[in-house]
Amino acid sequence: MSEKAVSAIELQDVHLSLGRGAARVHILKGVSVSLTDGEATGLVGPSGSGKSTLLMTMAGLERPDSGLVKVAGQDLGALDEDGLAIFRGRHIGIVFQSFHLVPTMTARENVALPLELAGHPDAFARAEAELRNVGLGHRMDHYPAQLSGGEQQRVAIARAVAPDPAILVADEPTGNLDESTGRAIVDLIFALKRERGATLVLVTHDLSLAALCERTIRLRSGVIEAEAEAETVVA
Amino acid sequence: MHAPVKPSQSPTYRAPGIGLVLRLAIRDLRAGLRGFGIFIACLALGVMTIAAVASASRGLTEGLAREGRRILGGDAAFSLIHREATPPELAFLTARGTVSSIATMRGMANAGEKGAALVEIKAVDAAYPSIGTVETDPQAPLPGLLSQRDGAYGAVADPVLFGRLDLKPGDIVTVGGAKIQLRANLVSEPDKIAAGVGFGPRLLMSQDALRATGLIQPGSLIRWTYRLQLPQTATSDAELEKVIADAGTQQRDAGWEIRSRANAAPSFQRNLERFTQFLTLVGLTALLVGGVGVANAVRRFVEAKKLDFATMKAVGAAGGRVVAIHLTEVMLVAAIGTGVGLLLGAAAPFGLGAIVQSILPVPFEPTLAPGELAIAALYGLLTAFVFAIIPLGRAHDISVSALFRDKVEPDPRHPRAIYLVLCALALAGLAGVAIGFAYERRIALIYIGVMFGVFLLLRAVSLGLMALARRIPRPRRPALRMALANSHRPGALTPALVLSLGLGVALLSALSFIDVSLTRQLTGALPDKAPSFFFLDVPSRDSERFDAFLAAERPGAKTERVPMMRGRIVSVNQTRAEDIKASEQSAWVLDGDRGITYAAALPEGSRVAAGEWWPADYRGEPLVSFDAQNAAGIGLKIGDRLTVNVLGRNITARVANFRTVDWRSFGINFVMVFSPNTFAGAPHTNLATVATSPDGKGATDAALMRRLALDFPAVTAVRVKDALEAVNTIVAQLAMAIRGASGLAIAASLLVLGGALAAGQRARLYDAMILKTLGATRRFILSSYALEYAAIGFVAAVFGVLAGTAAGWGIVTQVMRIEFVSDPRGAILVATAAVGVTVLFGLIGTIKILTKAPASHLRNL
Repeated sequence: MSEKAVSAIELQDVHLSLGRGAARVHILKGVSVSLTDGEATGLVGPSGSGKSTLLMTMAGLERPDSGLVKVAGQDLGALDEDGLAIFRGRHIGIVFQSFHLVPTMTARENVALPLELAGHPDAFARAEAELRNVGLGHRMDHYPAQLSGGEQQRVAIARAVAPDPAILVADEPTGNLDESTGRAIVDLIFALKRERGATLVLVTHDLSLAALCERTIRLRSGVIEAEAEAETVVA
Repeated sequence: MHAPVKPSQSPTYRAPGIGLVLRLAIRDLRAGLRGFGIFIACLALGVMTIAAVASASRGLTEGLAREGRRILGGDAAFSLIHREATPPELAFLTARGTVSSIATMRGMANAGEKGAALVEIKAVDAAYPSIGTVETDPQAPLPGLLSQRDGAYGAVADPVLFGRLDLKPGDIVTVGGAKIQLRANLVSEPDKIAAGVGFGPRLLMSQDALRATGLIQPGSLIRWTYRLQLPQTATSDAELEKVIADAGTQQRDAGWEIRSRANAAPSFQRNLERFTQFLTLVGLTALLVGGVGVANAVRRFVEAKKLDFATMKAVGAAGGRVVAIHLTEVMLVAAIGTGVGLLLGAAAPFGLGAIVQSILPVPFEPTLAPGELAIAALYGLLTAFVFAIIPLGRAHDISVSALFRDKVEPDPRHPRAIYLVLCALALAGLAGVAIGFAYERRIALIYIGVMFGVFLLLRAVSLGLMALARRIPRPRRPALRMALANSHRPGALTPALVLSLGLGVALLSALSFIDVSLTRQLTGALPDKAPSFFFLDVPSRDSERFDAFLAAERPGAKTERVPMMRGRIVSVNQTRAEDIKASEQSAWVLDGDRGITYAAALPEGSRVAAGEWWPADYRGEPLVSFDAQNAAGIGLKIGDRLTVNVLGRNITARVANFRTVDWRSFGINFVMVFSPNTFAGAPHTNLATVATSPDGKGATDAALMRRLALDFPAVTAVRVKDALEAVNTIVAQLAMAIRGASGLAIAASLLVLGGALAAGQRARLYDAMILKTLGATRRFILSSYALEYAAIGFVAAVFGVLAGTAAGWGIVTQVMRIEFVSDPRGAILVATAAVGVTVLFGLIGTIKILTKAPASHLRNL
């Protein structure tokens, strides 16, 4: 498999519904999009527009009802659940709004976890390097509950980039942080993206944050309403 | 800056294995055991019960093995019924070591106006006791206590005899035709257990005294036992086995029953193993009831960890790996629970040793039994696995998308097939251990079937109850409506409550029915036709006079009298008795001597099931009629040739028919009934019975015994009530142990119930706070919850009673083979208490919630 194809993420006519029976909702309605390798893309749109679902589909966390999803040249539809998990561990780093650190593990152990799962013998050395890289060299042995929100998100970012993924996805990464901390986190994500040449997909409500991306996709009711270069995005 | 390394380029990349799984499991456990309290307690209780029972049993078994020589009174014992050893037989024994002898039989001690009592006579020679000591009160040398003095032989007696006849040391009783002076209380005898359970108190006298009584008559039921002590130079097991083998070949016709020091009390050993199995199954019940607690705890663990599971999957862990990590974690906790149970179980015999020793007349040395403890641990770990794997298996397919949404999707209804297969394998392993280590596999198999059935029934009941609650129309009363909705909503307490409560009620109900049936069997009013006395050793020459005596004492009462001898089955066709593979239920028929009789007509209470009864004037080859059930147990067929040793002679008879016997008629019946010509001319005594007179005018039991002792001093009277009371005393002691073990199962049930209710409190808290915010009074909320708990408790109790009744019926009729007494009072009491406990437990937690202001809780929700 090619590590970094020209088209890092490619979706063709993707449909996805969630729920059962009367509660079933058609969320993605024929989405087609192609994200270039190394590009930063912001997904924006009102609540319920389907942007988080689109992000999850790109990360292999949701399976579409129909359509094609290719990430780093791999057709995700061809992988079973375990295959997807292993693929994610190697190729996709995910940053969540709510951090989702494992509370029983220290910062070092949280960052080492994907490396350990992938079988890296130097998982802890690399985890320490990543933590130093995000400015938490002094907080390695702290548990999530002992860290501030900003610090927890830094640990989560270190964990996401530790396996050096080709794709980095972030879902409202500043949503649970104050403004100044949020800004620092955004700077960190973009710095790491540039440093590693990863493809970044960012879901956000914050248009100023979306403006930092090279490309913005605006969703409304499960369809792509507009695609634009960063400077032409309108609210 | 750290230089990134591409995974695919990593030179030392390898798939992570068990080491990583273990490491991550231990890492997660560092957070502590919060939420696992009930889990650990449930496992510890069950394992403790099994470990304690097994350790105590081992202590008794080892005590028996270690003290085998003392119990037996030598390295080997050769016993003969009816007769003393012949000079060649005695010569055979004396050529191989030092020989001492005892004679045992039943007799009557007559104290004149104070009455008469059945005694278990033990007549000893001058060498007694060759091993160990006899303790008496007052303590004095035995030869002096037993010697002849002033025209009376001495004896020492069980204090019970002194009490029963209101006697004191120095008083004289008549036994047969001899005066016996009771000179001391018998405190202990080293070989007591080898004699088995007696119906009367022990009377220890010399063999000269026994001869003087005149009780030794041709055919009287006397057992002579010769104890052989090997010389110091030849005490090895091999040499002992050679002596026993030589006795079998060189004295083939002796017909003696041989026991070695390694098998000193086989009957006790068998009963011990049977009882150990029973208590182990009760312990396993505690473990299985606790298993529900394990499953509940694991379900909560998975619920609390869902986001962590999803996170692990998001960073690259496959579903199977996530399950493996947390299964390892759960099993580590199970190991802690099991370890606690093992520690307590292993320590119990040391703590309770004095109590065990006071109840059982056997040497008991508390001991650490690694093998038995390992089996108890296996039970614990397998149970934990069986109950944990399904809820954990559901975590395999937890969706990672949960991390992006506020709520986690409900578990998939069915876990993947692999987890069902693993559960089935572990279940099979658990059943395999229970059956494999069982003394009676049939009972273990029945037990497993019953438990499986009860689990399925209660599961079906909980599903049915929820389905019903969903479908019935919504009541108008809000409290009732809320109770109904709570009973079937997602995460409802119904399945956990029905299982934990239902199992507890089923167990208690089953025990209640067993208890009632057994008690009724032993102490209930005997049927009118049942005899009130059995008379042993009625001399043949006095039989007609004896019939007249009974007719005079108990006018109109039903009497029976049959010839009786004792004999051992030596072989069937050409197969020796010891080589016959008998069923567990029928092994006793081949083990030692049995009462036998002869009859021209089919005995009352019997029916010919196969073959034909012989003509009244039959004169052909010896024939035998065999009890049908035991015939099947030892694989006997019509036409087989059965050889029995009676009075030192081997007699072969052809099996002519099988009889079904109603043993509960209390009439005289025997496993083997021979055609009369078989024993023509052989010396024998008679066994007779008498019931009470129909109008109650006959002599009282005490008066009859007094006159019997005067008129027929050689005849022994066994009062049926006394015999049943003796058995009942033993049963009462066993019942104590059963209740103790069952109490732990009930404790497990309550733990599970409490745990399930506590787990439901969080949802209750939310509901209660919202309801209070909306204006609901505490009374309204409490009544709604009380209704819900009462309804679930009632249904669980009803089905628990039904399951317990079925289980009790099965055990009473199929295992114990006694009449089932359908007295439901105990079960109803249990069911009522169960509903009460459920409502109480449930409301205790809720009341705590309701005393707080809503805001304090709503902020944390």
